[in-house]
Amino acid sequence: MSDGLVKILEGNTFVVSDDRGDIEASMTDPTGLFSFDTRFLSRWVLTIDGERLNALSTDDLQYFETRFFLVPGTGTVYIDAKLSVIRQRAVGDGFHEELTILNHDEKAVDLTVHVEAGSDFADLFEVKDDLKKKGAYYTRVEGERLVLGYERETFSRETWVSATEPCKVEETGLTFNVHVEPHGEWTTDLHVVTAFAGWGETRDRPKYERHAKRARPNLERSLEKWVDEAPTLESDWDWLKMIYQRSLVDLAALRFSPRSSAGRSLPAAGLPWFMTMFGRDSIFTSLQALPFTSELAATTLRELGERQGSRLDDFRDEDPGRILHEMRYGEMTAFEERPHSPYYGSVDATPLFVVLLDEYERWTGDTRLVRALEYEARAALNWIDEYADLMHNGYIWYQRRNEKTGLENQCWKDSWDSISYHDGLLPGFPRATCELQGYAYDAKIRGARLARLVWKDSAFADELEAQAADLKRRFNRDFWVAEGGYYAIAIDTDGNKVDALASNNGHLLWSGIVDKSKAKSVARHLMSSRLYSGWGVRTLAEGEGRYNPIGYHVGTVWPFDNSIAAWGLRRYGFKEEAARIAAGILDAANFFDGRLPEAFGGYARELTKYPVQYPTSCSPQAWSTGAPLLLLRTMLGLEPIGEHLIVDPALPQGIGRLELLDIRGRWGRVDAFGRGRIDLEKRAGGRQLGVLDYEARERVRARKK
Amino acid sequence: MSDPTRDFFTDLAERGQVPMLRSSGGTIRFDLEDGDRVEHWYVTIKRGTVTVSHDRGDADCAVSASKELFDRLASGTANAMAAALRGLVQAGGDLSLLISFQRLFPGPPAHSHREQAGYARRTS
Repeated sequence: MSDGLVKILEGNTFVVSDDRGDIEASMTDPTGLFSFDTRFLSRWVLTIDGERLNALSTDDLQYFETRFFLVPGTGTVYIDAKLSVIRQRAVGDGFHEELTILNHDEKAVDLTVHVEAGSDFADLFEVKDDLKKKGAYYTRVEGERLVLGYERETFSRETWVSATEPCKVEETGLTFNVHVEPHGEWTTDLHVVTAFAGWGETRDRPKYERHAKRARPNLERSLEKWVDEAPTLESDWDWLKMIYQRSLVDLAALRFSPRSSAGRSLPAAGLPWFMTMFGRDSIFTSLQALPFTSELAATTLRELGERQGSRLDDFRDEDPGRILHEMRYGEMTAFEERPHSPYYGSVDATPLFVVLLDEYERWTGDTRLVRALEYEARAALNWIDEYADLMHNGYIWYQRRNEKTGLENQCWKDSWDSISYHDGLLPGFPRATCELQGYAYDAKIRGARLARLVWKDSAFADELEAQAADLKRRFNRDFWVAEGGYYAIAIDTDGNKVDALASNNGHLLWSGIVDKSKAKSVARHLMSSRLYSGWGVRTLAEGEGRYNPIGYHVGTVWPFDNSIAAWGLRRYGFKEEAARIAAGILDAANFFDGRLPEAFGGYARELTKYPVQYPTSCSPQAWSTGAPLLLLRTMLGLEPIGEHLIVDPALPQGIGRLELLDIRGRWGRVDAFGRGRIDLEKRAGGRQLGVLDYEARERVRARKK
Repeated sequence: MSDPTRDFFTDLAERGQVPMLRSSGGTIRFDLEDGDRVEHWYVTIKRGTVTVSHDRGDADCAVSASKELFDRLASGTANAMAAALRGLVQAGGDLSLLISFQRLFPGPPAHSHREQAGYARRTS
C-alpha cells in the first residue's frame, strides 16, 4: 500500500495496521481494529524479549486475510536472524491471528513473547473530528481472557483477547514464556472479539479457527465464487483485465451485510471511513455493477426499503417516503450527538431508489421484488412531489432541518462550496440542483413502466408520464443557460440560474431529461477543454469562479461521475465521446494499479502526465470501484430491451478486442463482443490508451462538412 | 393514567391493515419491564395485516425493553434505532421484522414546520 498501512476488512469490521502488523493509534489516526463504527483496538504491539520486530514482507492473501513475515531486531540490516516470526491475520467479528515463531538455530531458545493490547473505543466520528470521550474505561482479567471495556450509561463495548497457548494475562496484554527447540517452531492462536450486547448475538470467539476448512467471509459467497460467477473478460489490451479483476475483488471486499439481511450483501461506500450503508453510494454502485452481479442491487433495494422514512423528524431530516442517506452504529449516533440512526439528509437517493428498482427489473426480470417493494416505490415517488418540492414549483429542493449536524448540500456534491454561480458566489437555501430534476424525471418514467408492467395500475402510469413530460418541458426552459448552451448547476429561490458549468450535465444526459435538440451542445461542453482534463470530466469547469483542480467538488475528476457521463453520452448516441471518457478513466486506473480513487486532480493531462490523487480520499471506494464496470457496459453498449440484451460496441482507440462472456440476466447468459480500431504505433507503448485532442478533431470534422 | 404503549398497540390493532408492512411476515414479541412485572405484547404481521395480542406463543423476533422506554417510543420522544445502539433495547431472532416495525413509531411531537420565506438569496 502506498501509505505503508495494511488494511484488511470484512463488512464493516476492518483492521488497519503498519507493515509489521502492529497498531499504535492516536485519537486522530485511523489505524486499529474497527467494527460497527467503533475502534475496538488502538494498541496491538508484538515484542520478543522486549524488542520490536521488523517486516520482511507482507502478503495480502485475501481482502480479509493477510500474512506478515517478521524478524527480530531494529534497523534495516538483518544479520544472521536466528528467528522468524509469522503473523497471519483474518478479520471477522474481531480478528484471529496465528502467531508462529521459527527457530533457525541449532540451539534451543527461551523467549518472552508479549502482545500489548489496548483500546480507546473511539467512535469513527471522534477519530475524524478529534473529540473527547464521555464515558469510562475498564479492564478486567477474567481467567484466561483479557477484557477491555468502555461504558457510558447503558452503552457498552468490549474487546476480548485470549490465546490458545498458556500465557500470563494482565491488564496491558498477554505474555508467553516460550521454549523453542533447535529448528523447531512454536505457535499460538490469538483471538480478538468485538463484543456488544443487545443487537443480535455476540460471539465469544472470532469466527475463524485454525484448521477450520478455510477462513470464509461472513457472506453467502466466497471471493472465489464471487469472481467465478461474474462474466469473464477478454481483451487484447491486457491492462483492462487487471482493472476488471481489481474492481471485482474490491467490490467483493466492500460488500456489507447488515445484521438484518440474513447474509445478503450490499455495497458499503468506502474504506476506511464509509464502511456502512449509504443511500446514494449503495444505489449508484449497484447500478454500475448490474451487468456483473444483480445481488447487490436486490439487497440494496430491500434494505433501503426496510428503512425508508415514515415520519417527520427534523433531527434526522426524515420524511415519509424518503430513502436514507447514511446509517451509523457508533457511540455518537447512539447518544444522538449525530443523527445517523439513520440520517435521511440526501434528496437524490429517493428518486434513484426507483431508478434502481426499474433497472434491476430490466436486467433480471425479477418482478417479485418489484411487487414486494410497491409500497416503498410509490412512497418514494410521492415524496418527490409531496415533501421535496419545498418551493411548490414542481422541482426537488433541499434545505436541511437539522441545522447543527445535518448536511448543507444534500446532493452528491455535498461539500459547502460545491454549488456556485459563475462568479463564485453561493446561492442561498433551499437549492434545486439540476441533476436532481433529471433523477426525478427518470424516476417518474421508470415508475410508470413498473406501474403498467407489474403493479397493473395504468392510471398511475399515465399520471406519472404526464408529470414527467411537464417536468421535462419546464426544466428545459428554467435551467437552460441559452447563451452558454448548457444547463445551470442549479436554480435559486428567485428562479435565477446558478450558472456555473459543471459535470452535472453528464447526469442530465443519463436521466433522459435533456431535449434532443440540446444534447449535442451538452456533449460538446463535456468534452471541451474547460471540462475534460484528458483523464476525465472535471466536477467544475475551468474558468468558473470557484474552479480549483484540487477542490473536492470544484475541479477534481471523479471516476464515478465520469462513468455516469459516459452512460449519458451513450444514451443520446454519442458513442465516440463515451469511448473517450472510458479511455481516460481506464488510463487513470492504470496509474493506480487498477484501483481508482474517489477523486483525482483536475489538472490537464498534458501538464502532469499522471493523475494526481486527491489528498484525503477513501480507497477502495465503492462507486470508483464500480466505474470501470459501468464503462465496460458503455463501451460494449449493453442495453436490456425486453427479453434481450442489445450489444452495440464502440471501443476507444487502442482496444482492438473486448469480450465479456456469460453476462447473466433474464435472457440466461449472453456473450458480448466488441472490435475496435487500434493504432499499432501507439500500442507499442502499451499501457496507456492515450489522449486524442477531441476539440481539434471536432474542428477538422466541422471543416469537412 | 395515560399509557402510550397501550394506546399505540390499541391503535395498531384497530388499524388492522398496515400497507407499510405488506412485505413483512412473522411475529414479534415485546417484553416490557415495568418495575417487577413484565408486559408481553405479541404483534403478528401477515401481508400487511396486523394483529395484536397478549397470548403467549412462538415469536420470530423477541424484543425486550423497559416499559418507560417503550412509552417514549410510542409517543415519539425516543428513537428506536438510537435506543438499541445505547443498549436499551435487546433484540434477537429476525431483526428485519423489528427494523420494519419501528417505522410505525411516530416522529417527535413538536415538529417544527419549515419556514418558507426569508431565505438569504445570494451569500458569498
